[in-house]
Amino acid sequence: MLFSDLKGRKLVDTSSADTVGKVDGFLLDPATQSIAALEFKKTDGGDTVAWSVITAVGDDAVTIPGTNVLIEAEGRLAELASKRGVVLKKRVLTDAGDDLGEVRDVDLDPSTGSVRELVVGAKKTPTHVAGARILGVGEYAVVVRAAD
Amino acid sequence: MSRLMRTSEIASLPVVTLAGDDVAQVKDLVFSADGGAVAGFTLAGRGLLAGPLKQGLAWPKVVGLGPDAVMVADEESLEPRDEVIAAAASTVEGVGSGGNVLGDRVLTDSGTDLGKVVDVVIDVGPGGAGQCDVVGYEIEASEALSPAGSKGGKGTRMLVPLPDTISVSKEHVMVPAAARDFVTQDLAGFGASVQQFRDQLRGPA
Repeated sequence: MLFSDLKGRKLVDTSSADTVGKVDGFLLDPATQSIAALEFKKTDGGDTVAWSVITAVGDDAVTIPGTNVLIEAEGRLAELASKRGVVLKKRVLTDAGDDLGEVRDVDLDPSTGSVRELVVGAKKTPTHVAGARILGVGEYAVVVRAAD
Repeated sequence: MSRLMRTSEIASLPVVTLAGDDVAQVKDLVFSADGGAVAGFTLAGRGLLAGPLKQGLAWPKVVGLGPDAVMVADEESLEPRDEVIAAAASTVEGVGSGGNVLGDRVLTDSGTDLGKVVDVVIDVGPGGAGQCDVVGYEIEASEALSPAGSKGGKGTRMLVPLPDTISVSKEHVMVPAAARDFVTQDLAGFGASVQQFRDQLRGPA
């Protein structure tokens, strides 16, 4: 599932059946090459939900068991939520020193949150970089292993 | 995959850790004392106004060198600049000036001046493995060179392949006379040219 498709999807609390927010962003942990949390807007209170407590990421909505899982990012999540942790639109460098372009989109597995691939570079001629190649996300670039 | 690069393309490249942070940028290259390899880099801070750093980067610490960045494992890869320079000079004690060959005249051992060095071509080994070999010089061709291959007139930029080891002084870079036969204008075909030249120098196996 591309994040661009997921963005804007509603967040529903299964205990009250209320819409309690909208998908706005994601926090990608380069250490696990997966999505650590989703960020939401139009919520009351916290805006972040750790991936592990999300009930489901469905075609029409993201569901959570209750609004108590909406938190402010802290600790590791706060690090990932900083400007340094941002992935979209950041340049991608290989460990061989080649610039592949900017991250345009992220393809994620909706059941596990693992990153299947990064969609990098120009819209018409994108490069697909497998999530397993991600080495780090820093101030300057997302670093990936060079293609074999 | 090894690739050829002009050293002028390397100056001011960012030095980026595998965690994705730019920790410095290349200020200058440090050549080994015999001029045959890149020993490391001196560094400057990032940004327009940043000055030179007290740290340098030795070639063995480089993970990858490409057209867009110099990759290192982490910030710990940087070492005191003076140590990087000292290590380069000590590889062959007291031979040649090592450092700056730009502006030197390329002279064959038979006494022909081929032209002035304007750039240095290096062969970047795969993923920092092995050494970063200096394989050729880009020169502004002298008149002596131009009629030989009739590839261009005086001042044309040409690529001269180098043998494994060369003598470098403040004025001259000495190359075997045979280097003249392997001069090319195009970086794409230059790798093969260097290989043939070096094979010929080594003679039949």
